[in-house]
Amino acid sequence: MKPQTLTQSMSWLHTWSGLVFGWLLFAIFLTGTLAVFDKEIDTWMRPEVPAHQVSQVEAAQRALAYLEAHHAGASAWNIGLPTERSPGLSVSAGEQRRGGGVQLDPRSGERLDVRETAGGGFFFRFHFTLDLPRDIGIWVVGLAAMVMLVLLISGIIIHKKIFKEFFTFRPAKGQRSWLDAHNAAGVLVLPFHLMIAYTGLVIFYLIYMPAAVDAMFDGNREAAFGRGGHGGGEQHQRQGGRGDQVAVASAELTDLAPVLAEATRVLGPISGLSIQNPGRANARIEARPVLGNRIELTKGMSMQFDGVTGRVLRMPNEGRPAQLTQKVMAGLHFAQFGGYPMRWLYFICGLVSSGMIATGLVLFTVKRRRRPDAEGATAAWLYRVAEPVNVAVVAGLTLACVGMFWANRLLPVDLAQRGGWEVRVFFAIWALSLGHACLRPTLAAWREQLGLAALLCLALPLASFLTLEEPWAEPGRCLLELTALACGLLLVWTIRKVRPRGEEAATGRPSRKLAEVN
Amino acid sequence: MKGAMTLSRVLAAVFGGYLFTYAFTAALARLLPMAPGDAMIVATLASFLIYALAILWAFACKSLWRMWGGLALALPLALVGFWPQLMRGPA
Repeated sequence: MKPQTLTQSMSWLHTWSGLVFGWLLFAIFLTGTLAVFDKEIDTWMRPEVPAHQVSQVEAAQRALAYLEAHHAGASAWNIGLPTERSPGLSVSAGEQRRGGGVQLDPRSGERLDVRETAGGGFFFRFHFTLDLPRDIGIWVVGLAAMVMLVLLISGIIIHKKIFKEFFTFRPAKGQRSWLDAHNAAGVLVLPFHLMIAYTGLVIFYLIYMPAAVDAMFDGNREAAFGRGGHGGGEQHQRQGGRGDQVAVASAELTDLAPVLAEATRVLGPISGLSIQNPGRANARIEARPVLGNRIELTKGMSMQFDGVTGRVLRMPNEGRPAQLTQKVMAGLHFAQFGGYPMRWLYFICGLVSSGMIATGLVLFTVKRRRRPDAEGATAAWLYRVAEPVNVAVVAGLTLACVGMFWANRLLPVDLAQRGGWEVRVFFAIWALSLGHACLRPTLAAWREQLGLAALLCLALPLASFLTLEEPWAEPGRCLLELTALACGLLLVWTIRKVRPRGEEAATGRPSRKLAEVN
Repeated sequence: MKGAMTLSRVLAAVFGGYLFTYAFTAALARLLPMAPGDAMIVATLASFLIYALAILWAFACKSLWRMWGGLALALPLALVGFWPQLMRGPA
């Protein structure tokens, strides 16, 4: 990098960090966009859970009956209640709070055989860990989010005349159009980009930047949050759970209806209950709210009742203003507030962001097709690699995501570790797409992979129709497939844009030669 | 030679920028007139913007000398942030 003007140095930074991190960022943004509807994807991927009109109270009572019959001696019971976003009722016994539970039919209270699936949770976890070991993933994604912030600010510096450029869209002009599209998408939802990159960092803020905890509290995070903070509550609970099972007299559990009503009055809609020491005099009922009754992220918030008298023992903690600020920022990122209109807004903004990153990546290679060796030998090598990797990351990942939906319908229902196989199919498709992109000419690879992704999106209802008896009994599943249809049409429109024409036809030929060299 | 210069700038931006931000956050948390728990949160929330600006600074600087000069401000900031620990000495 030579000493240059500010715009030139910012431009250099934007281009190179954009290329190196653009691949990572696209994967994070696309899976994050899908994770907006993680619960709905879960519902679609568990087609055995029936649609129903059962109230939470009735469902809770059926869950209790099941637990009393099958896990009478357990130290704790957990009930996941049906909510607006997911019709399922799940129960588990013992200390585990989630996962591994049994699904019940909310109408009859009987055990349901639900297919094992990675579910929408896979996209959510991939979004912030990239399926790496959790701590490593969080750091890699955090670094990418930091680079995103840098990219956005450098982009603003490069395009000082941002609004003038925004209104100069020149379609069907090859490279110019890619640049215009990249800029338009960048400017159009700039507040969203800035917000989502920054709030993404705020979620794990003390992991990324422990300086203030180190300086003020010698690195002790529990001390930093005082006694009522994160650590205290859990410890208290564990003590309650260990309480000698034999010494305590048995007692009838209180009626859940008034408990649920009071919890709903204070916390809003309830997602689940845990009952410590059920059937004993020291029983405790803990009610957890559905995430997103407010913007503030209410993760870990709960309310405790006496399990015998039904009296409220502990109200939810109200955070201090500074802590509330952090939680509101994290909540902004999680997009659990505002119901479905807000969720759609985040979904669409996420798609635009993914499009901005994809056009940026394409722009990088389109620009250099004419003179790939202008910036030295290393750079020329990178350009050659960049073309197929672009295809595999943008088109291939899209294909892998749709492919996972298909895997959910096509894999045998009783396959052992089925969820793991769905994930394997996802990564296998992604790896194959890279191989395909290396073997085929660039433009053909783009069109073929995007075409296959479009086809799989458009034909997704067919997958349900062929494998299920009542594919659309639950309206949410039908809506998901309609969304897939819309995404398929969007992909078809994109393919129509990816073809040699005018200026692009001229630059398209050398690129094909380049691909053959590989 | 040009590659080495670029590499040194990238390293300075990523690691030098992080060290600067670390020191800045510690100093800010100590100086903010708030309860320690609140100051910790506010300073840490500000840190990501500071890190982004530090990275941009490392690339915007005309000369490497000026770049390192800016990042070297981390030393006095760290002194402010960790003053009580330094006074106490090694435990």
